[in-house]
Amino acid sequence: MTFRTKLFVVFMIALLSSVGVVSVGVTVATRRAFEESNRSHSEALVAQFEREFDRHKQDIVHRVQAIADAEATVRMAIDLSRPKSDVSVYVNDARGVSQSHQLDFLDFVGDDGSIISSNESPERFGYKIDWLTQPQDWAALGSFLTKVDTQDGPALGLMAVSVVRVGDKNMYVLGGERLGKDFLASLVLPTGMRALLYLNLDPSFQPANLVDENGPVSDGDRLATFIEQERQQPTRRTFKISWTSDAASAESFHELPLLGRQGELLGTLLIGNSQREAVLLERRILLLAVSVATMGLLFGLLLSWWGAARVTRPVRRLAEGARRVSEGNWNTRVEVRGRNEIAQLASAFNRMTEQLSEQRERLVQAERVAAWRELARRLAHELKNPLFPLQTTVENLQRAKEQSPEQFEEVFRESTGILLSEIDNLKIIVSRFSDFARMPQPELGPVNLNETVRGIVKLFESQFGAVGRPPITPELHLDENLPMIQVDEALLRRAIENLVLNAMDAMPSGGVLMLRTTHQDGGVDLEISDTGTGLTPEECERLFTPYYTTKQHGTGLGLAIVQSVISDHGGRISVESETGVGTSFHIHLPVKAPTARGEAIAPAPAPVPVPVEKA
Amino acid sequence: MSRRRAATSLALAAALIVAVHAEASHRPRMGGTLRFEIGASVNSLDPNAKPATFKEALARDEINWLLSETRKVITENEGAGAGGPFRVSDWEPGKRVVLVANENWPQGRPYLDSIEIQMARSAHDRLLDLDLDRADIVEIAPEEARRASERGVHVSVSQPDELLALVFLPSSEAADAEQQKIGEAVSRSIDRAAIVNFILQKEGEPAGGFLPQWSSGTAFLFSTATDPVAARNLWSEIGRSLKITLGYDASDSLEHSVAERISVDVRETGGAISVVPDGPAHSSKGEGARLVRLSMSSPNPREALAHFANELGPLAGAEFVAPPVDGGPQQIYDAERAMVNTYRVVPLVWLPRAYGLGPRVRDWKTPGPGEGWPFADVWLGDMK
Repeated sequence: MTFRTKLFVVFMIALLSSVGVVSVGVTVATRRAFEESNRSHSEALVAQFEREFDRHKQDIVHRVQAIADAEATVRMAIDLSRPKSDVSVYVNDARGVSQSHQLDFLDFVGDDGSIISSNESPERFGYKIDWLTQPQDWAALGSFLTKVDTQDGPALGLMAVSVVRVGDKNMYVLGGERLGKDFLASLVLPTGMRALLYLNLDPSFQPANLVDENGPVSDGDRLATFIEQERQQPTRRTFKISWTSDAASAESFHELPLLGRQGELLGTLLIGNSQREAVLLERRILLLAVSVATMGLLFGLLLSWWGAARVTRPVRRLAEGARRVSEGNWNTRVEVRGRNEIAQLASAFNRMTEQLSEQRERLVQAERVAAWRELARRLAHELKNPLFPLQTTVENLQRAKEQSPEQFEEVFRESTGILLSEIDNLKIIVSRFSDFARMPQPELGPVNLNETVRGIVKLFESQFGAVGRPPITPELHLDENLPMIQVDEALLRRAIENLVLNAMDAMPSGGVLMLRTTHQDGGVDLEISDTGTGLTPEECERLFTPYYTTKQHGTGLGLAIVQSVISDHGGRISVESETGVGTSFHIHLPVKAPTARGEAIAPAPAPVPVPVEKA
Repeated sequence: MSRRRAATSLALAAALIVAVHAEASHRPRMGGTLRFEIGASVNSLDPNAKPATFKEALARDEINWLLSETRKVITENEGAGAGGPFRVSDWEPGKRVVLVANENWPQGRPYLDSIEIQMARSAHDRLLDLDLDRADIVEIAPEEARRASERGVHVSVSQPDELLALVFLPSSEAADAEQQKIGEAVSRSIDRAAIVNFILQKEGEPAGGFLPQWSSGTAFLFSTATDPVAARNLWSEIGRSLKITLGYDASDSLEHSVAERISVDVRETGGAISVVPDGPAHSSKGEGARLVRLSMSSPNPREALAHFANELGPLAGAEFVAPPVDGGPQQIYDAERAMVNTYRVVPLVWLPRAYGLGPRVRDWKTPGPGEGWPFADVWLGDMK
């Protein structure tokens, strides 16, 4: 994942988190605000309803009082106060009067509580309403709820009583409205509000007793629990109910107990306030918030992408510069814009590459000088050995010529032999240096590494058990499933032979030479281990440096040539060693050796033998 | 002197003119169409057709009486074959019938040329038509007679000769003894006096038996008083909760009011009656009952009782025994007592027939028991 992508992801996470937190906060705050608003609205509506209800009650009181004050009623009361008055003539009066005053219930009741005329129960004439004659200040009581017997069965009435007194006789006017769908329909309710009435006329909850302005409420059973609670303990309650799975169907109810004169529960008024408008408004706001948030997120996405690109552009330039430096382009410079940390970093990078370039130049020069010095030292060392015998031989010849001419011939023959021998040594030295300078290009071909290893071991078999030296035991651990590899077999053979010779040199007292082949990671591995004297860490570090040797007569070119061969095949070589335990060389070769440019190595014109040199 | 004589002569002449004119105004006049409105709806004049309501049956009999004067023929034995005083001229079943005078009636052509009878008119419309002179005679419900009279309407009320009774329909659930207790409990629960005084506005009489006091003279022996204590005891003896359904003619406001009052009275004594319009025709489940109205077929108590026994017995599923033809008052009483004691039919009240008369109607004689509308003798005078 690129730095730009990471930065973009970080931006997006930060943006999403911010939007999420804000959205949740706004949602919760909005919902609370709506709930508070709904609650206030509901309470206001309930208060409005109660005012309407009170107005209705007062209206009933006024209408009943108007009937009592009417001349016909007073005349009826006067007539009834007379002894043996004929009350039957008034039996139908209540019906007409109730219609003219728009009352559902109207009873004219005599002094003894006997019904003289009844609108709702005309057949009940003569029967007594006992509670009406009990001492009571009906004017102060106003309207009240009571159960009324009608031809259709018991009903709930909002009633008022007015007394017409003639002499010492009373006539009672008992009138009111039926609490039911018509009463509910007559109430002026705000939009979204409705009133339900449960008539508590039966011992248990009866759905048919729950009515609204249109009659019995469908799904009235859903309210049974709340009404039953009210029946058990009459008090004001609020609750909310969802009629369907849709939250917009929710309706909050205020439950008001309707009590009779004795405090008995006669009914329950349920003032419902639909939550539909509020829920729909809340949904609209949430939808708008989601839309804005989505647009914000999209905008933030683009902005983050652009921002990440802009922020990481200097870093990418730095990375590109670093990559170029790693490829050896030491003169790489990055553009510096502004004065921020990235610009400072770019400046530091440029200074660093400048200094690195300068230091590398100095190092190359120093290494070059050191190499030349080393070469000169080596050459001097190598050439000094043959030169000294040459000088001594020539001086012996001069002395023999001057002091023993008779022996000169003999000395001359011996000396020329020595001179030729030393000159051969000089040629060999020159040839080795020449070979190192002219390393050939590998000529690739399919090679079975196991066969190569077996061939080399067989070649050295006679030397492992040579007379006069302690034996060396070769051990082969070869992976028979080893794939064929594309290498120059001659070069590889010489490199391995060089390592085997080094191992033999490292075991003057004999030991075990182990060769192991394995394959992994698309290549093959060769391990050559000895149980010799081992190397120090310092020696291991410098082991592959040209002209470095731990031997008395080595040129220091053997392992350098080995490393060069392995490297030319795209492989790598490493060494592990422990003083007194032994040394292991690990070679990894790819199945198909690439060139430095990623191309196959072109076959060399002709294989050049590499001298095997002991390290 | 001559002036005094002249004045006296003028006064005598004027008195003579007034007397002649008065004589002329009381003399029956031929001609004219009498407009008569009734509440019932007669759909067929066939005596064998089954009427929908008791009121239809009564109205049909009245019309047929005008056409054949059957009952009069039977009672007066004047011979049949010549028809009645009127014959049908125009007939719209259930709505209207026009009768024209029978020129060949043996007892002489009626004074009226024709009678137009409007049927199925509501009580309110009938009184309104009478007030507006759109009708000459209208049928008035007994409970409206008093109020109409107070409004200035000339009301003619007959002797109470129509029995309103509660008939228990045959029941398969209750045993005879239990049925009797149920009937007695209901009978003792009902406040008949309240029905007469309040619902009928004192036009009528409480009925304890099947004959009115004026007919049998023994009606006082049948109690009409309510007895809530006895009724409660009877309901307790019955024990089980009963489901009594009381039907009535939905078009009859009087029956409705009486049925509701009975329901209240029975409920007050511990029973339960539910009131159902137009039902039940029979007792399919529980106890069924309905209100019926029957007219006395004759002022003769024996004949009237026999008529009631024949009509009500099959309806109640009881075998009422009519008094013997030659039976005396005791036999009539015994037969009536036997009918009452079954409690399958509970007599409630005796109803009169009431008519509102317009100003043109002359020589209207209130019909007696067993008599139909007396249009044969009615004539129309001038409007005043």
